[in-house]
Amino acid sequence: MSNSVISVISRFLEEYTTSTPNKLKVVDAYLLYILLTGAFQFLYCLLVGTFPFNSFLSGFISCVGSFILAVCLRIQINPQNKGEFLTVSPERAFADFLFAHTVLHLVVVNFIG
Amino acid sequence: MALLRLVSLVVLVLALGAHALTPSHHLTPSDLVRLQDVLSQPYTDLKAAYLSIVGQSKLGLSVAGSNEACDFIKSNLDPSSVESLFYAAEASQTIASCEIPVSNETRDLLHATVSEDSTMSQIHQAVSALSFLGLPLASQEVVSALKARISKEDNVLAITLALQTASHLSQQAELGEILEEIEDLAARLDDLGGVYLQFEEGLEVTALFVSAAYALSDHVGVEPPLKEDQVIQLLNSVFSKKSWDSLSEAFSVASAAAALADNRFHKPVIVSAVGPATVSHSQPLLQLQVMDVLCQSLSSANVLVETATSAATKATILSQTPFTQRDGIFQLNFMASQPASGYYQFSVAISGDSRLVGNHIELKVKVSTKVSINNMDLSVVDKDQSIGTKTTRVEYPNKAKSSFIADSHQNFAMSFQLVDESTGVELTPHQTFVRLHNQKTGQEVVFVAEPDSKNLYKFELDTAERKAEFDSISGTYALYLMVGDATLENPVLWNMADIVLKFPDEEAPSAIQSKNLYVPKPEIQHLFREPERRPPTVLSNTFTAMVLSPFLLLLLLWFKLGANVSNFSLSPSSVLFHVGHAAMLGLMYVYWTQLNMFQTLKYLAIIGSLTFLAGNRMLAQKAVKRLERK
Repeated sequence: MSNSVISVISRFLEEYTTSTPNKLKVVDAYLLYILLTGAFQFLYCLLVGTFPFNSFLSGFISCVGSFILAVCLRIQINPQNKGEFLTVSPERAFADFLFAHTVLHLVVVNFIG
Repeated sequence: MALLRLVSLVVLVLALGAHALTPSHHLTPSDLVRLQDVLSQPYTDLKAAYLSIVGQSKLGLSVAGSNEACDFIKSNLDPSSVESLFYAAEASQTIASCEIPVSNETRDLLHATVSEDSTMSQIHQAVSALSFLGLPLASQEVVSALKARISKEDNVLAITLALQTASHLSQQAELGEILEEIEDLAARLDDLGGVYLQFEEGLEVTALFVSAAYALSDHVGVEPPLKEDQVIQLLNSVFSKKSWDSLSEAFSVASAAAALADNRFHKPVIVSAVGPATVSHSQPLLQLQVMDVLCQSLSSANVLVETATSAATKATILSQTPFTQRDGIFQLNFMASQPASGYYQFSVAISGDSRLVGNHIELKVKVSTKVSINNMDLSVVDKDQSIGTKTTRVEYPNKAKSSFIADSHQNFAMSFQLVDESTGVELTPHQTFVRLHNQKTGQEVVFVAEPDSKNLYKFELDTAERKAEFDSISGTYALYLMVGDATLENPVLWNMADIVLKFPDEEAPSAIQSKNLYVPKPEIQHLFREPERRPPTVLSNTFTAMVLSPFLLLLLLWFKLGANVSNFSLSPSSVLFHVGHAAMLGLMYVYWTQLNMFQTLKYLAIIGSLTFLAGNRMLAQKAVKRLERK
């Protein structure tokens, strides 16, 4: 059982490193960074308490929002999905990404207190 | 329920209305003096002179300095003005031997003014001037002019002036229609609460109406169509104001007072008691003043008590008893009928003149008396045997020689009678209290003594039962009796005896907290909201480092993946884009530290639009490059 899990994981990693274009790997690295940041914030909250609750919320929501926007970007610039995004060029996706981030950061900074 | 109350209220009001009204406001002698003072102020122009001179004459006063007044009138007269002629004519007529020279032009001017084209006020002034100067009038012409003006000027003041004008005309003229205007005007009066009747134009107009209506009615000999209650209500309105805003208002009040005091049909009578309406053995006479509106005593009147009933027992004490008159004051010796003390309702009727109005009055008279305390017996009674161990009789105002001792096995008892000093009738005053006062501690306890069925007052103090009121403090108490009532002339506070009370279970008396309510209370310290407990700085710093560490990981990964900036084109749009983007991120930081949302949005709009334009350009170039590569 564990054998099959390990073999699945190793096969997945192998496929990932070979067949994913570099651009997507860059975005994936960014995603990992966001994930870790959010996880550490949550860990702090669990261990120490929610004292400035609004700050915790804004930080955590910033991470969650950024993650989602990055995932959207990744989907839209993946050349394999080109058929589904005929009207959206990668540049357009990036521009949307930036604009949505501006709005997100405005709200987050407002709430961070 | 509400309907029932409304119906009963209406019935009550009607019942009260059926009872004749009496004046609730009238001019007292001091009000009259004030009115005279207002009217006798020095005057500077002809109108003020007229108001002052004629006003004072209406009050029955002779004008001081009649020669100077006459000269003043003559010198200020303007023969070309109808108004000036009117003031001069009536004023000079009031002063004895003051003649105004009249020329033909003056007479013609006055006659010419009497026409349909002049205002009512002008017609009034012209006709009055002609009348007071003794010049002939064409009464029928005046009447037709008045009728024409009345239909054109329908306001209250104009019609009042018409009435006043008509009172100067010959009795042969047809004044019937003008006389009817009195009734029409009376219908326009506003009834305020059933007490006042006045025009909405105000006090002055109401007063002028009163004097004009009576002037015309007297002249024609027809009783004015005003009911008794209406006359009283008009009187209330006119005399409700005791200080007058202007000379003309004072004049109108004086004029109305003169009209009400002396006309052929209605004479309101004012009845007031001399001092408080109280009689007693020392002051047995009930004295009433009966006056007309100008505070002149009606010495020819007959004052009769129709009924006098006791408020408590409703028994009739007097019936159809006349007052005797002495020096203008009507007196009745009420104590001669030996009334018991208390309140009595008097119904008084005044007769002697068929014109009297408001001549039935209700008066509340108090009969007061002196109380004496009889048979005051103080005793200490044993609870078990109920045999008085010691009964002492104390006479007012003496104090018992020896003090009484009562402990928990004994009761202290008191009995006495309260009687009217002169008649010996038993009394039950409103306040009969027994007060015990501890001299050492200042504590006092008050009880009520109640009469039994035979009007014998009894009081019993059960030491054991009442210890709570005394806070169980034993000691010597001074015993007082307090008697008081509205109808008693001699309220009583009598220190009868000293009692030594012994209470069981006396706790070491906690120092008497004198129930001092007015000392400063303990100060309240405000507790500021304590800031929340924060985690230690080391922990926070550690976690901050932890949270920032993935950024390093990101940079590492990117480096490993081979991400670089080699493809960075230095076109102005991309430079501008990156600069703008960096500026936006910087703005976020500044927003966090300093700005508010509105300022941020403003800056964001500026920077954002620049960045957008640059970015658009840059991405377009990139897209072109990408398509070229394909």
